Amino acid sequence: MPERIRRRSLTDTALWVWGAVVFLFLFLPIAVIVLYSFNNGRLLASFDELGVQAYVSGLQNDVIIASVMTSLKAATGTALLATVLGTFGGIALARATKGAKWPVLLTALLALTLVTPEVVDGIAMLPWFVTLGVDAGLTPFNNGLFRLVIAHTAFSTAIVTFIIRARMAGIDSSLEEAAEDLGATKWRSFRDVTLPLAGPGIFAGALMAFTLSLDNTILSSFVQQPGYTPWPVYIFSAVRVALRPEVAAISTAMLVLTLLALALVGLVLKRSGNSSSQIVKTMAGS
Amino acid sequence: MTTRFRKFLGDSALSFPTWAYMLFFFALPVALVMWYSFGFKPDQFTTHSMEQLSLGRYREVVSPTFLSVFTATLRISIVGTLACLVIAVPFAYWLAVKVPPGRRGLLLALVLVPFWTNFLVRTLGWQIILSPDGFVSEALQGIGLLGSPLDILYSRAAVQIGVIYNYLPLMILPLFVAMDSAGVQLREASADLGAGKWRTFFQVTLPLATPGVVSGCLLVFIPLTGDYITASVLGGANGTMIGQLVANQFQNAQNWALGSAMAVVLMLFTLAVVVVTALLALVVKAIIKHVGRVELPTGQHAGPDAGTAADLPAGSGVRQAEAAVSGTTTGGPHA
Repeated sequence: MPERIRRRSLTDTALWVWGAVVFLFLFLPIAVIVLYSFNNGRLLASFDELGVQAYVSGLQNDVIIASVMTSLKAATGTALLATVLGTFGGIALARATKGAKWPVLLTALLALTLVTPEVVDGIAMLPWFVTLGVDAGLTPFNNGLFRLVIAHTAFSTAIVTFIIRARMAGIDSSLEEAAEDLGATKWRSFRDVTLPLAGPGIFAGALMAFTLSLDNTILSSFVQQPGYTPWPVYIFSAVRVALRPEVAAISTAMLVLTLLALALVGLVLKRSGNSSSQIVKTMAGS
Repeated sequence: MTTRFRKFLGDSALSFPTWAYMLFFFALPVALVMWYSFGFKPDQFTTHSMEQLSLGRYREVVSPTFLSVFTATLRISIVGTLACLVIAVPFAYWLAVKVPPGRRGLLLALVLVPFWTNFLVRTLGWQIILSPDGFVSEALQGIGLLGSPLDILYSRAAVQIGVIYNYLPLMILPLFVAMDSAGVQLREASADLGAGKWRTFFQVTLPLATPGVVSGCLLVFIPLTGDYITASVLGGANGTMIGQLVANQFQNAQNWALGSAMAVVLMLFTLAVVVVTALLALVVKAIIKHVGRVELPTGQHAGPDAGTAADLPAGSGVRQAEAAVSGTTTGGPHA
């Protein structure tokens, strides 16, 4: 018996050590970037002296600020558009009559967007935008920001839809039926009953769409227009020339802001009575 | 009749905006790419021409250069996916089972921090760590483990480390969700019935987490195969991935026909992997159900019980497929 207890605690110890090692691995490069953002030197990779020079010059660099703003605007637009599409799609899928064919087709189409490599989306969007904007004369398609929002929405709608469908699948449709029995119109029951029920899913979907858009590099590099270079594409082009500490400084600032925003969201959710595990799962969309 | 019609429309009408958007901004442009792949590049200044349709571009795709990049990409993505799985299984198990529930939320949030840090910036962090004159290299030389500066940046090994790091959270999340939703009751039941810790893990926890394993592997494999950002930051000229070849045809060579053919091959390949994985998962599930069947030794009474026990993984598998789908969503084909 004692032998058994000792063996148990050994595997447990190994698991705890493994957990710590994986966390170290996950945070190592982030810690490095945060540390190197305080590099006063000229090049990011060679640490010169400690200082906040990079933050000062980064915030004064118009090109950097413009690209960060482009990314934030595109992410906001994507979150709005993808959430509207995903909410309609997700609720429709979850509430579809059994045996109907269209939900299977729509799910297949959305799943197809998930398994399509991003570079394929990119090369497909570029000629399409040229066709629509130049050949068909639909001028919005020549606008860089518009292009980014349209392209990012196309690849995040599937995710938002599936998050909301999963949320609605767990909720009995009897509440909506009750509302209609009580005399509410279809629209009224949708607005006053279905939408609030889908709330956490909608919120998680919007957050996910925002993050995906903010992080997107490959697709953006294909559809971007001069004057609307999003932040990741700016960094990617800087990698090829020379990386300066400003990139690390602005990234660190963005990370801190993101974490603060998420902590705030978590706090609000906690106030509304969710457990911490639930909150994180909501924010991760699962 | 009208109510019936309205009922039918009310059911699917809500999905029309989603349909329209996905058809117009996904299906149509991708179909256009397929169409271009049958064309050719007539001269230096034209990207493509559709005057003569042929399979010529596909023959060009099957060239030694393309195939060698293709196999290299495949090796990196398979090794990367397996490494993520090996790292994530014990980690997710630890997080879902060993960590006290009160602290689980915080740790899970910490796992997501890299996920919310820009993809490229994380990769740049590795560029600094692995660089020959970086602090790791100097430290290793300082304690005498290395005779010369660290020579790993701009090699396949660096790309491998980078992709494992970048896609690891996408493996951890669905695995955690699957193991967490399996619940503590089944593990306790298994222990009560006399199974040891390892036996419980391999016969209860892991089979129940199969949907999580499948969606985790797909979540890592699909974007990893198409990714070329990590490879070009950490691998330089040695890190050419298939996505880079496709992008080059559009951004540099201006040969849309050939680029489209490459893209179609890449897309079909990814799709094939998904289908094969799904089939494989079904087979594994059937085997688990068959081999892992619990036969209780006592006579007649045990009959129905044994049946229930054997059916359980399948039944809860369905529930978890749902969880796995929302897991899929989590990751999203990240950057």
